[in-house]
Amino acid sequence: MTVHTPIESRSGGLPPWAIGLTVFVFLVGGVYLLSNLAGQNPALAIPGASAPVASGGGGADPAVGAALVAQAQPQCAACHGPDLAGQANFPSLHGIADGPKSENLQDLAAQHPDDWIALWIEGTTPETQGIDRGGMPVFGEQFSREQIDSIVAYLKTLP
Amino acid sequence: MTVNPKKLRPYDTPPKRRRSLIPEAPDSAATGFFVAAALWLALATALGTLAIGMRLVDISFSFGLGFFDLSLTFDARRVEYAFVNATVYGWLTNAGFAAVAFMTPRLLGRRLAMEKGLNGALVIWNLSLAGGIAALYVFDLGPHAPLTAIPWLIDGGLALGALIVTGAFFATAATSLRGSYVSLWFAGVALLSLLGLLSLNAGLGLIDFFLDLPELLIALASVYIERAISVMWLLGMAYATLHYAVPRGTGQPLAWAGIGMLTFVTWLVLAPVAGLAALVDVSIPYAITSVGIVATMLLLVPAALAVVNLVQTMQGRWTLVFSAGTAAFAIVSLSFLFAASLLEAIGALRVVDELVGGTDWERGVFLWSAYGTFTLAAFALAEHALPRILRRAWGGGFLSGAQLWLAFGGVTVAGLALMAGGLAEGSLLAEGTAPDAIGEAVMIYRAVAFGGFGMLALAGLAFLANLFLMYTSGEPVDYAVSGQSATAAAGH
Repeated sequence: MTVHTPIESRSGGLPPWAIGLTVFVFLVGGVYLLSNLAGQNPALAIPGASAPVASGGGGADPAVGAALVAQAQPQCAACHGPDLAGQANFPSLHGIADGPKSENLQDLAAQHPDDWIALWIEGTTPETQGIDRGGMPVFGEQFSREQIDSIVAYLKTLP
Repeated sequence: MTVNPKKLRPYDTPPKRRRSLIPEAPDSAATGFFVAAALWLALATALGTLAIGMRLVDISFSFGLGFFDLSLTFDARRVEYAFVNATVYGWLTNAGFAAVAFMTPRLLGRRLAMEKGLNGALVIWNLSLAGGIAALYVFDLGPHAPLTAIPWLIDGGLALGALIVTGAFFATAATSLRGSYVSLWFAGVALLSLLGLLSLNAGLGLIDFFLDLPELLIALASVYIERAISVMWLLGMAYATLHYAVPRGTGQPLAWAGIGMLTFVTWLVLAPVAGLAALVDVSIPYAITSVGIVATMLLLVPAALAVVNLVQTMQGRWTLVFSAGTAAFAIVSLSFLFAASLLEAIGALRVVDELVGGTDWERGVFLWSAYGTFTLAAFALAEHALPRILRRAWGGGFLSGAQLWLAFGGVTVAGLALMAGGLAEGSLLAEGTAPDAIGEAVMIYRAVAFGGFGMLALAGLAFLANLFLMYTSGEPVDYAVSGQSATAAAGH
């Protein structure tokens, strides 16, 4: 047998403080929203391994590279700044197509003008052994060469 | 007098009772969902302990299954996905369905429609989920977030289970939903949300199967669905459960019906929009993500209203809070509700997200929501409902006490450790520290979290043992006496 046992309430009304609190917090939220309408989101950090993302394009794809930059661990933006324009001792990645800004990479760029960026990001090949990485992580174990090529393609689009 | 059975005439023989293959007795579905939930809780906490353990010690292996070139892959990502699915769809959703099956007839005064159908849904849901979790170890997870990673065909089975439960709820409540208690409003919207989100995920999977949708689109839909399931289904059912369990557990009327309805309206407006905060991508207009972030922060409003209303409802019955029972579980759940809402509001801020996004911080906040707020709300209802369904008393205070304190202690320690580890990880990343050094630095936090989650696993086992002992050796009790007035029976 189902016994109907209604839950009653001590007060059916809505106390003024509850209305006031709700309106006040919504107003604060509205002000915050108005001050955050302009800007640009970073690329989505796609969950999981990056293989499916990279395998989509076949060749180096800047869009894929942008997604990979966002999901790299540690994130590129953590050192090179939110818009990769550099911060503290970490160089800007803008204009990287014109050559490296760091002294330690000049020789590498001279010897491998076409793929020095990919070699540097990868960091696992003999060409980069012995170069002081200055905190730059090795991404060769995290990304495939095709993915790194996409990252390079994206970085080269930065003005 | 001894009766010779050979001399019995046909009309003396008692009619044979026909037993249906699928039970249809009142409360049979609620019982089934509660038992399934308890079993999933034990499995989920075991998987959670393993998932945190695998972040301490890297283990992964793979071996072929011997057919269709399929292989079983065991790695940290798959174990974590299995843990999240077992927690959300296994433990919390079964507990949510049990709550719907228990509360609806009692609040409306009529039998639950489609009791047999609900028992069918119990089987469909749990078989689909078991298959889905097994599939996580076999198929490619793609760009999916944990709660959308189950293959679309199996996801369709989950959607069918949710459809039956939703149908049963509205077949029972639709005609009298207007003017009914606020818990039913929360439950109705939460059920519709779950059904819609599961159907959306299965539908997208189906379209992707034939048309090969862009992975970015799948990933964006996936993170939205994941977030919406948390704030619409789980949070909605937590509100429904707490608004039912607290007045019942304390035997007192709800403090303010108006605040209850304001809580519902603010949650209803904000929860669907809050999912937009997860859509962080260059292709999504900045303003849309900002709307989602603001909605996430404003979800603190319904949380605060519910806490004030339900704490006020407990006034005068504070002694109940100090013994392991419905009120004690509910007050702990309310504390976590407020704390987790606050943390999610803070974490939604872009500047904070840049620091802790993708770190253990997010896992810590998930633990506080799933195992703090939602689990303890489910425990509160189970503590009240199971004696009334099974008509047996809980075996003793020890296991209930262990359940309360282990869950409270475990989730507090594990959540805090993961959040602190996430902060440390985020700070080290910002300083450009090498990954190996970061890994070493956060190890201690993960070790503490492992210990805390182990306590949570023991709480899950305590719940299962408590339920088993009640079913096998609990003292018979009867709460609702036929002919007794509704007022006298209220709260019991």
